[in-house]
Amino acid sequence: MMNRINSAWLKELFNNSGDVIVRPIKINQNGITVHLFCVDGLINQSLFDEAVFRSLKFDPYLSGCMTERAMMDYLLEGGTYHVFTKEEADYQLLLKYVLSGMVALIFDTEEKAIVYDIRMFEKRSIQEPSEENVMKGSKESFIEVMRMNTALIRRRIRSEHLVVETLSAGRISKTDIALIYINGIADSATVNKIRTIINEIDIDNISTPAFIEEFLVENKHSIFPQIMYTQRPDRVAANLSDGRVALVVDGIPFAYLLPCQLPMLMQSPDDYANHFFIGSSLRIIRYMSMIVTLFLPAFYIAATTYQVQMLPVQLALSTQAAKQNVPFSSASEVLGLLISFEILIEAGLRLPKAVGTAMSILGGLVVGQSAVAANLISPAVVVIVALAGISGFIMPNQDLSSGIRLSRFLLTVLAAVAGFFGLAIGLIILITHLCSLNNYGIAYISPFVDVEERNIRDTIFRFPIKYFQKRKSMQSERRDRL
Amino acid sequence: MKKLIILLFPILICGCSHDMNRREIDEINLVHVIGIDFSDGEYVITALYSGEKGADTEKGSAGQEVTSKGSGATPYAAFQNFRLKDKKTVSIANTGFFLLGEGAAKRGLDICIDFLSRDETVKMESLLFVTKDMDASEFIAQSLEKGQIIHEDMKAVEQKQEELVTRNDNTLVNVLNELENDITIGIIPYLVAEEGSFLLQGYAVFENNILADYLDMETSSGVNFIKDIIRAYPIYLDDNVGLSISYSKSHIKSEIQDNSIRIVIKLDFETMIKEINIREDIFTFEELNRLTDMQNDYIIEIMKKATDYSKNTGRDILQIARLIQNQHTRKWSEYEYNWKDKISEIEYEFNVNSQITKSFILN
Repeated sequence: MMNRINSAWLKELFNNSGDVIVRPIKINQNGITVHLFCVDGLINQSLFDEAVFRSLKFDPYLSGCMTERAMMDYLLEGGTYHVFTKEEADYQLLLKYVLSGMVALIFDTEEKAIVYDIRMFEKRSIQEPSEENVMKGSKESFIEVMRMNTALIRRRIRSEHLVVETLSAGRISKTDIALIYINGIADSATVNKIRTIINEIDIDNISTPAFIEEFLVENKHSIFPQIMYTQRPDRVAANLSDGRVALVVDGIPFAYLLPCQLPMLMQSPDDYANHFFIGSSLRIIRYMSMIVTLFLPAFYIAATTYQVQMLPVQLALSTQAAKQNVPFSSASEVLGLLISFEILIEAGLRLPKAVGTAMSILGGLVVGQSAVAANLISPAVVVIVALAGISGFIMPNQDLSSGIRLSRFLLTVLAAVAGFFGLAIGLIILITHLCSLNNYGIAYISPFVDVEERNIRDTIFRFPIKYFQKRKSMQSERRDRL
Repeated sequence: MKKLIILLFPILICGCSHDMNRREIDEINLVHVIGIDFSDGEYVITALYSGEKGADTEKGSAGQEVTSKGSGATPYAAFQNFRLKDKKTVSIANTGFFLLGEGAAKRGLDICIDFLSRDETVKMESLLFVTKDMDASEFIAQSLEKGQIIHEDMKAVEQKQEELVTRNDNTLVNVLNELENDITIGIIPYLVAEEGSFLLQGYAVFENNILADYLDMETSSGVNFIKDIIRAYPIYLDDNVGLSISYSKSHIKSEIQDNSIRIVIKLDFETMIKEINIREDIFTFEELNRLTDMQNDYIIEIMKKATDYSKNTGRDILQIARLIQNQHTRKWSEYEYNWKDKISEIEYEFNVNSQITKSFILN
């Protein structure tokens, strides 16, 4: 009984669940009764009444069916006015379908069910991306419904080669995951590897993005993001065309892109929406900002406590003048302010928007200014930390921004301990770590380590589109057009 | 093993940092200018740095700069004496200017700057000047009395120098390089204090690294023309027309015939008219040709002053020795040992071409 589809078993299984409906429907005078099996709140009731229930009650042909099998065959061949109809004999799949919002008609004698996809639940409408907004370009972003998200991608790639495989993960949650790639372009080894990883995920629930990210990244101890997420369907479409693989997880309003390399995380859709000179300039600013946010606080400490000769004369003198009467060391000042900055960010995220703005003003301006006036910190340090902080937020990817912010602390501590020597050691560690990262067979910092010149054309500079006639060799099986 | 390395790493870094002279920037006296003198049988180092309030002019710069002195048998001993006496740690890492008093310059340039060349923190692009007819300490003291902010005035001197010449040859690294060549004569600009500011008047000439003479302004300019480092130079023709050089390029070639050396100096330059004090129209073809000839003669006169000084004194201020060494290597071995006598026999030929390019007439 346990492994067969049966209404009595289902009633027993969901005895305590008020939202799960297992209701008998008498079809005709021949004594055939089917059971409706669905979850209240997940189905489109009016569509069910119109398309299925009406047929069941009033279709004269059904009244003439003498067996459940005959009735099932008729329903599957168009007896109900609904397109998405299928027969299901596997009780596990049946549970999965119904619990995800489909409706099933249970035929006890046949121990089978007919499943109708009449899902309808409350969902957000498609809105502008909150994190990746662009001036020129699409304003659509993903929502929490996987099928809607795959449809947004399919709308942009109208090719028969686009594959949307539906997988599932989470023992209890049974979360749907769409594995999307373009057949013939995406590297099949990468696709197989990702599919295997997802199939082997053994956890109860996929409730937050980190649950799936941690399974997919290869170097789990690295603070640098090795999987890229995006809210934008157009960006997913572009990366699929480049040979990457996308993952859309039900309940998560963005898509993952794999394999991911560092230069990808430094790119913004705006780069391609503008003239290539403007796009390249924006990228250069981003790379410069990365250097500033990583090294500026550490450089300041090293230069003001160990190697003063690194500062130009006038800068050294003005820094010295600003530092007079401040009781703390430069390292304490910078580290203290960096931590305060992080606290402000964290507090701003947790508070309601209106309170958050007021708190930012209070924390950033009032406290900062008062601290300078009270000679607790020097104005130079405020400028350094503010500049480093703002530069950090220029990164288009927030995961990368967080990684860089954490690395900044490491470099700052090393500079506080050993000046430029420490900073150099930190830099070596950082570069070595980045070089050691490998993402689905591709070096994390490629194409900077690539020997092929053409792969560099879309990194720090954004070359004109005419130079992108062929795909990069790293992630795609095929470089020319399909 | 990995954990052990991770544990050891911070300890190693901390260990390394023990020998790193960790000092907060406000615990250091950043010396802006150093004066080196020789008086009463010992060397004196005078250091100029910002006082407690720093160098911020908005906080009241008057009297902000303070000096500290140290003395010893050698410049290094004097420097160490000064470091010991000073209340804070002293850093010459940001010292941009070294002033050489006349007394110290007459004792030997190499002796004065040897300790600087061995300091790993000193800036190699720091500029070296000689204080004409006085000690550097006196020069500094007088300027402070007049209320000057010396390091800013020295910066102004550097800027003026950069306006006039294309490169500063009086950087510490250049002077140290010159010291290694004992045939050519070293020249270092000298400073004169005047009316609350410093004036660059010309070059101090060092023979065997000892101060020998001062060149006047025109002779020094002649040297600059021949060395091809002129960026701008004013020309005044008969007090009626003023011009300014906007481009200058010189080329020196040496010829040796019958054991006599002939130096051909080819100079091309362009000028712009800056001032006209006559009513006649000078923008005619003939007039402009006349002015061009006049400005050529004017520059030749200036260059002649430099070559004449070299011939008359036997001092190779134009570094002709280096030219002969490069262009006539075999012959040089003959001249090397009596080069000083040979200098006075050198014949100079000037080949000057110029043109007036812009008039700047608005109407």
